[in-house]
This record gives sequence, C-alpha cells and structure tokens, in this order.
Amino acid sequence: MIAAVVHTVLAQTSDPDNVVGWFTDRAGRDGSGAIPDQLWVTLWHALVSSAVAVLVAVPIATVLAHYRKAELLSGWIVNLGRVIPTVAVLGMATLVSIRNGYGFEPWPILVALTVLAMPPVFANTYTAVRGVDRDVVDAARAMGMSERSVTTRVEMVLGAPIIITGIRVAVVQLVATEGIGAYFGGDGLGTYIFLGLASGPIEQVQAGAILIAGTAMACDFVLWVTSRILFRRHGLGSSRRSAGADVQAEPIRSSDRLSTTEATT
Amino acid sequence: MTATVPEPRAGLDSRLRRRVIVGSTIVVALVAFVVWADDRIDQLDASTQATNPIIRWEYVFVREDTPHELWDRTVEHLQLTLEAMLIGFVLASVLSAIALRFRWTLTPITVFSGFLYTIPSLALFGVLVGYTSNWTSALIALTSYTLLILVRNIVAGIEGVPPAVTAAADGIGMSRTRRLWSVEIPLALPVILTGVRVATVTTVGLVAITSIIQLGGLGSLIFDGFNDRYTTKIVLGTVLSIALAIALDLVLRVIEWSTTPWTHGRVTR
Repeated sequence: MIAAVVHTVLAQTSDPDNVVGWFTDRAGRDGSGAIPDQLWVTLWHALVSSAVAVLVAVPIATVLAHYRKAELLSGWIVNLGRVIPTVAVLGMATLVSIRNGYGFEPWPILVALTVLAMPPVFANTYTAVRGVDRDVVDAARAMGMSERSVTTRVEMVLGAPIIITGIRVAVVQLVATEGIGAYFGGDGLGTYIFLGLASGPIEQVQAGAILIAGTAMACDFVLWVTSRILFRRHGLGSSRRSAGADVQAEPIRSSDRLSTTEATT
Repeated sequence: MTATVPEPRAGLDSRLRRRVIVGSTIVVALVAFVVWADDRIDQLDASTQATNPIIRWEYVFVREDTPHELWDRTVEHLQLTLEAMLIGFVLASVLSAIALRFRWTLTPITVFSGFLYTIPSLALFGVLVGYTSNWTSALIALTSYTLLILVRNIVAGIEGVPPAVTAAADGIGMSRTRRLWSVEIPLALPVILTGVRVATVTTVGLVAITSIIQLGGLGSLIFDGFNDRYTTKIVLGTVLSIALAIALDLVLRVIEWSTTPWTHGRVTR
C-alpha cells in the first residue's frame, strides 16, 4: 500500500506531463484563463456574497436572539437552508437570470452563494447573542443602557468571537463551493476543473482542485489570524480554529436547537 | 444576587395541544394540495408548455417514464449515502476505539479528520477521478466528510459516561470488554446516534455534487434540468433530496428514540 503510494508520487514527479508541469506551462492554459484572474473572480464572488449575508443575517439574528424569539422556527429554517443543495439554487438562479436577460455572470452565483452563507452566519450570531451571560446583560441594564445599547455594545461585542467564526466558516465554504459556478456558465477557479473534466487533460482538473483547496485554506488561515489579533487586543476569548489543535470542541448534541457551525465542505 | 429564575416550562397539555394543532394543519394542507392537484391532473396536456412555467405538472404526473426515473435516481442517492455512512461509521468506530484506548492519538486523529473535512468536495472529486472509478472516488470523498462528526461524537459519547457508572461496573466485576458493550456504549448511544443523524443529513446534501462525475442521484436531475433548460427537473431534484434528508432524519430519530427508552419514559419523582 505505502509502496504503491510512493510509486505513484515518484511517477508523478518524474513525469513531465503532470500537475507541476501544468502550473509552469503558461501557454497551455490560454483557453481557461490566467490563474490570478480566476482567483480574483472567485475571491470577489465569495466576499460580496458573504458581505450581503452578514448584512442581512446578523441584524435579524441579533434582534431575534436578544428578545429570545423564534428560536425553534429559526432552527428549522437554518437546518432547511443547510439541506438545500447549492447546485439547485444555482441552477434555478441561472435559468431565471438567462430568461430575464441578466446572463450567466455574476448574479446567479452571487445569489446561490448568499443563500449558502446565511445558515452559518445566522446560527452563529443567534447562538453567540443568546449565550451572553444574563448577569452581564442585567448589569448593563442596571447601568442605564438602553435595549439598543445592550444589544450593540454588550451582547454583540461579547458574542463577537463566535459571530466572526461563523463568518469565517461561511467565507471558506463559499470559496470551496464557488468552483461549482463554472459548470453553470460562470468564471472562477472551477473553470479549470470543469474544462479539464470535459476535454482534459486530467492534470488541469487536479491543478484546479489544488488551487481551490489552497485558496479555501488560505482564507481560513488569514481570517483566523485576523480574528485572533483583533480579539487578543480587546481581551476577548479566542475564536476556535477549525483545523487546529483544539478542534475537538463540543460534539453536536442536538440539531433542534441552533448550534454553532465550525466545519466546512 | 441569586441566579435568574428559570422560566416555567410549558405544561405537557399545552405542548401536546400545540403539536396536535401543528400536525393537523400540516395534514389538512397536504390533503387539500392532493385534492387540488388530482383535480388538475386531468386538464394537463402539452398546451401548458407554451406558457413556460417553473413547474410543468404534466412532467410529474402524466409522463409515464417519470416515476421510474425518479425511483432510480432516489435509489442511487440513497445507495451512495448509506454506503458512505456505513464505511464512515466502521472507520470512525475503529478510529475512536484507537483514540480512546491510546489517548495520545486523539489529537492527531481529530486533526486529520478535521483536515479531511476542510477539503472542498469539488476538489476532492477532481483529484480522485484521476485514480479510481467514479463510484469509488465518490464514496471515498463522501466517507471522508462523515469521519469528523462521527469520531467527535463517538469519543464524546463514551467519555461522557459518568465515572461513577464505570466504577460501579468495575466494582461488580465486569471485564473491560463487557463494560464497554453493556455499560458505556448503551449510555453513549444518544450522542453517537445524533452524530450519525447529522452526518447522514450532511451526506445527503453532498451527494448532489457527485453529479460532476456522472453520479449524483437526485443531484443529476438538477444538472440535467440545467442542461436542458428545464426548471421542472431542478425543482423535482431539490424537493426530493430535501424530502430524502428529512425522511432519513426522521427514521434515525425513531431509531434513537426506541433504542434509548430511559431518556423519555415515564418520569418518577
């Protein structure tokens, strides 16, 4: 088994026509676009969609959690949102977009990614605000803070690490999923995978896979480092790393109540 | 300063009443829909195609091949999900057993399965198809995504058994194996089964993406629908895969409920 793996790896590295060869052969990928261009497309798709999702989901979740409203309902909606296949939203959005003359790019992928980003952002915001110590909230009220101040200056601040974790998870998930947009007529790093699957070479598929995985992990790392620096300065608890040493966080106890998401696909 | 007073829980009666109301509303809505749809089926014909609606009901109800095709796709979807879950569960059990027996392996094992979980599924399929058949690469990818949830919940379930209980088991002279099978695993079952349930539902959603390597179960309906510019298939694929996820969730909930009778029986105070 190990010998076979070593053999494969050796064969890959000694073969000039492999993934490494694809990366160095700039002229060979004229048809599928330059790597920086596609990378940029993927990144802005992911960033815009997550920004929209944050702008929509965070306020709603915060207000609902502050007043302890609609917990069961939002749990259901979040779980339903997790079950809806992204390809379905994307396919539907693309067809509707073509019919109405908006084209393949970029509206369908933005819509699909925004839908995908909602559940983690919403669930984490709700859980974060709900989880703030009641005594702290009572103390803030006793100091004469208005409900709005309690929400924005106490609950959201104390819940910030978990909210940021939700956003990080969402961004990573978006970058990882954005590639599917290439099948539905969009641009982005997935172009390499789908052009490779359609007409070869297989090295292009592998290179696209490496690029997507690398970008997703790089985003994860950058956002994690940023949030660590941010929260360390303000003395808030550290946010959790999904692929770090402390990954064995709590298990999923029940999917009925809203729980934080930490992992990605 | 005393802790805040816990809110009084709703009594059994009001909860039961709410459930009856919600349940009967759903049933009434379903019946009304079926009656309405049944009334309309006779009127369906090719002329509705001219209006180009989102759903063409004649494709669902009148076309003869449809039930057969949908059944095949559903079976494929179910097969991929269950095979991946089965392999994943066996692997996760072995990994958790190793992690529980040799504590120092816990961190490497969770980090490894966490790493597998972070690999984008699209990328994993893309790399794997170069080496094995489509079915095998789909299974490898789907299995690797179940491991993190399963290992985490199995380990946490076994570790969550109160030390007093294991001490009592030791005290009455149980062997280590006996203690595991008749004390620790039964007590850990709720947590383990929750993990299985969440992993299953996640896998049902992921199977759709295997369409890019000519599998995909119900997901391939979505891709076909897009390629043929035919929204009916997309809607069908979506609704059926959501229904499949909910159905599997319910089945596993029932299993969970019936294997852990002590969590819901009559409470004696």
